Amino acid sequence: MTNNNVIEVNNLIKRYKGAKTLSVDNISFSVKKGEFFAFLGPNGAGKTTTISILTTTLGKTAGEVKIAGYDIDKEARQIRERVGIIFQKPSLDRQLTAEENIRFHACLYGMCGYRPSFKLMPKAYRDKITELAEIVGISNDALFKPVKKLSGGMQRKLEIVRSLIHTPEVLFLDEPTQGLDAVSRRGLWDYINSVRNQYETTIFLTTHYIDEAESTDKVCIINHGKIAANSSPDNLKKSLLKQELILDADDRNELVSELSALNLPFSINEHVIVPYTESPQAIIACLKTKLSVLKIHEPALEDAYVEFLSKTEVVKL
Amino acid sequence: MNEYILARKKSRYFRELNTIVAVIAREVTVFFKSPAAIIMSLAMPVMMMFMIGGNMMGIAGGESLGPFMLVGMLVNMLFMVTCMGMSSLVDDHETDFNQEILVSPVSRYSLVIGKIFGASFGAIISMAGTIIVGLMMGITLPLCQLLLILALSPLMCFAGGAMSMILIGLIKSKKTANFAVMLITMPQMFLSGAIIPVNESNTVLLILSRLMPMTYCIDLTRAITGIEQPTFNPAVNFAAITALSFICLVIGTFFFARSETNR
Repeated sequence: MTNNNVIEVNNLIKRYKGAKTLSVDNISFSVKKGEFFAFLGPNGAGKTTTISILTTTLGKTAGEVKIAGYDIDKEARQIRERVGIIFQKPSLDRQLTAEENIRFHACLYGMCGYRPSFKLMPKAYRDKITELAEIVGISNDALFKPVKKLSGGMQRKLEIVRSLIHTPEVLFLDEPTQGLDAVSRRGLWDYINSVRNQYETTIFLTTHYIDEAESTDKVCIINHGKIAANSSPDNLKKSLLKQELILDADDRNELVSELSALNLPFSINEHVIVPYTESPQAIIACLKTKLSVLKIHEPALEDAYVEFLSKTEVVKL
Repeated sequence: MNEYILARKKSRYFRELNTIVAVIAREVTVFFKSPAAIIMSLAMPVMMMFMIGGNMMGIAGGESLGPFMLVGMLVNMLFMVTCMGMSSLVDDHETDFNQEILVSPVSRYSLVIGKIFGASFGAIISMAGTIIVGLMMGITLPLCQLLLILALSPLMCFAGGAMSMILIGLIKSKKTANFAVMLITMPQMFLSGAIIPVNESNTVLLILSRLMPMTYCIDLTRAITGIEQPTFNPAVNFAAITALSFICLVIGTFFFARSETNR
């Protein structure tokens, strides 16, 4: 593992059989140990393809991928031991109960020997299941119901418990909160953050809820299979959007005259919008007009993301 | 957060064995939760033994074929039901459960071997059903012979399951998988001599029958039960079954793993 990078992707290319275009087109990026990394992009941009390659469930066409220092071509098994994944589409056995699905997973990951019932499983396993189920809001009753009788949201929670049972070094989350209610989403993120802090787990996230990527360390935007941006959420916002002061006064003409005299750029919409780069304090200190409106607009990552995609003509706004 | 640490087992052999046990347990659990699978396992012997066997015994001189046919049907049932059970791999593909299986850090051989032995469970049930239908038709075998067949049944199920992997490993649709099961089992049933003697087959059919693991399974079973003079020495039969099963397992597992990752 070089430079403390737990994920290293170099010149990765993927072309599906019979496809004319590349799904992943020569992308390179790295993720540091313990980093919370968001991989964003519109539908069909290549996010799931990339995650599938990184988790060894899909072969690549070309390029080099290393996870936790292991080469994906030569050491796939070592990589599988160290990663956990929540797939975009549910991947549960619908005929088994929720607990039987988790028990199957735990056995495949060598966490414990197989026993024919939950009661016969080791105490550490039973305690861990109970703890995780409680965190994501799976009731004891639901835990022993066949998966086909659980709601879509409950099935998603079950997948989350399953992906965490072996405490992976790198956790790949492919739209993990799709179908979850707000309380469960918050509970999940609280838990994932605590896992991350305690075990230095690296999180690789793809999501359509851009607010979930606000607290990430790095955001990478993929578009048409190519990396379009790769930076921290703050830098991304700064590079794409302006921070703005929203002002107004009972005597708007006086305010406008004052701003013009100060050579400050502004625009007038519902209120007077004054963009700034450094501190809004300096602008406010210069103004003598009595203000009736004073707001500071900090752009959200979602604003930056939409702005970015609209600039690159991916979405029609 | 509480500290419930599940220690990962160190021994690779333990983990592979544990995987095989877990996969078998899953198949058995699912079998008991699927009324359709249970009904099919019991209906197959009625269909095969009662209808085909009944007709065979009805022709001139067919009355003496009873034990010959029963042994053939038992082996055929083990092969056929195991193959049908293996087609659930396609269900796993359709429900995306294969993703969960293939991302796990275990050998693909352990997954396939577990699947084969798990699918064998339904086959053993069908075998028991065949014996009961045979009894109803007045065809019986001594208990010691039945126990010998039971002892050989894992080997025969393994041969059937491994053989079916060559096609099923490549198939992604349930419809095609059902057709593939017929394609695998039907020629074996007729060419292996499970129902009718095939000593007079033409060269092409004879070569084909020699390439089929079921031929050796039938020959071995009839030899150890003393029902018929075997074509081959039992050791040759055993070696042929093992070698063909191994070859099929390697090819089938390669196809299965490759078709899932090489899209």
